[in-house]
Amino acid sequence: MSLLQEVWQAVKAIGTGMATVHKRVYEEAPTEFYPYVKPELPPVSVQSLALVENEDGSERCIVCLQCERACPAQVITIERHRNPEGKGFLIDRFDIDLVNCMYCAACVEACPVSSIVTIQDFEMSTYDLQTLKADIDFLHEQARRARQWYSPKFGVELRTDDGRIEKAPPEMQPGGLAEILKPAEEVDS
Amino acid sequence: MSTMNLEPVPGRTDEMIVNMGPQHPATHGVLRVVLGLEGERITRAVPHIGYLHRNHEKIEEARTYPMVIAYTDRMDYVSGTQNELPFVLAVEDMLGVEVPDRAKKIRTIFFELYRLASHLVWMGTAMLDLGAISPFLYTFWDREIILGIVEKTAGARMLPNYYTFGGVRRDVHPDFFKDVADFLDHMERRMVDYEHLVLESPVVHARTKGVGVLDQERAVARGVSGPVLRASGVAYDVRKAFPYDAYPDVEFEIPTSPDGDTYARFWVRFQEMYQSIRILRQLLELTPKTGPYKGRAPARLKPPAGERYRAVENSRGELGVLVVSDGSDKPYRVKHRGAAFSNLQIIPDLFVGAKFSDAIAILSSLDPVFGEIDR
Repeated sequence: MSLLQEVWQAVKAIGTGMATVHKRVYEEAPTEFYPYVKPELPPVSVQSLALVENEDGSERCIVCLQCERACPAQVITIERHRNPEGKGFLIDRFDIDLVNCMYCAACVEACPVSSIVTIQDFEMSTYDLQTLKADIDFLHEQARRARQWYSPKFGVELRTDDGRIEKAPPEMQPGGLAEILKPAEEVDS
Repeated sequence: MSTMNLEPVPGRTDEMIVNMGPQHPATHGVLRVVLGLEGERITRAVPHIGYLHRNHEKIEEARTYPMVIAYTDRMDYVSGTQNELPFVLAVEDMLGVEVPDRAKKIRTIFFELYRLASHLVWMGTAMLDLGAISPFLYTFWDREIILGIVEKTAGARMLPNYYTFGGVRRDVHPDFFKDVADFLDHMERRMVDYEHLVLESPVVHARTKGVGVLDQERAVARGVSGPVLRASGVAYDVRKAFPYDAYPDVEFEIPTSPDGDTYARFWVRFQEMYQSIRILRQLLELTPKTGPYKGRAPARLKPPAGERYRAVENSRGELGVLVVSDGSDKPYRVKHRGAAFSNLQIIPDLFVGAKFSDAIAILSSLDPVFGEIDR
């Protein structure tokens, strides 16, 4: 290759590079300026876990221990005792170690009553890891703060401004809506 | 010190022993290579791995079958659901679970999307190693779109835990097929740019052509797979040799190159991206918009005693898993055959005789991911 050809090659390569840079400068990026603009996450996004209460403040969780058995990281610890009046169990302790949790949402898949749900609150940075050893109050508080949450059994649910819980409209629901709605009707009846 | 460290040879005062890594930015993580250098030439090379060892295989013996899927994700963290598939296929075989046709196709769409994502990461980091910063920013931009599509359906970006025995965990988002089609249009435009920036760049030619030549016999003898093997002229692809999921239904080619040098490995990865786009286009046509996404898997997963090996072609090569069952709800043994791990074994062969700056180019063409190598 002659010297002239080499110079032409170099000029051409720099030219294509600069042209590409120029093209991309005016394109809209798929990312957000995070601290100033909050990203809108899809409702199925697994960012943190919460324990939902019913509208009247009673416990949705029936303490069946399914989530404890399904957890791959084995970070859920539940203690229970039999309800002295009526049937079922009462919670003594419901801890999730959110430090070691790997956010696979296996517990949410396993829950038969959609009590444990995934929420989109991802701002969990802390100076003290002990604050992420979540107990039942922490998990309830997470659910009270959340505006929407997801579980495979009930789909996406919303908390209205007056504190009621209602099912999100079909356009907000992720795929497999028919399968999501069917078990919900069974529970309601 | 350990015996794997290089000892100076008595009388050879011109050889210098240098430690590359484990915090070297060009080693793609935590690889440490002890190099014997004679000026710029590498005379000896000993790779050290294990800095990211997390004892995956032993942990998986103590977990039930559905739990293991979440752990397999954490191996090759760049290529997401691709890691789940061999384990899921092996257990499905043992249980005799029927997978619906639509579930197979959805799985394959995710598989190929992650191949594109993984190759984009490779392209960015390989060019970063060669000294170009802009391609890294552009490829991560495109990868961001793929991860957004995945998050909309699977709920997570890099570690989705999406496949399950008998299909996938939940149906795809209603916008999914449109999103993928839009992304493919976008990606085809971008591939033209990448071709100009990477494959046709004279700098890349100068840095990679004739560097780190791996001949066919040695590639086969060392057990490398994936793009590294195909760049040495061996047309072996698990997708064609042992088809799984929806690959028998789609048409694609296996790009091979006879050269075996670093440029050939770059070129093969590029052609694979074109093939991925081609496969995805066909699958978008073939996949029904609605239908079953999950077959009937037994609630109590207890595969009969026995063992099963299944392999898939992930972005780096043949990713296999051997599952040994003793009839209980936990696997007796799970052995992963890592593609990046096997490809890393040719480092001493390729490094010796090369120049130090070429070593970086060779390493980037192997595309190692240390989550999978150290497991």
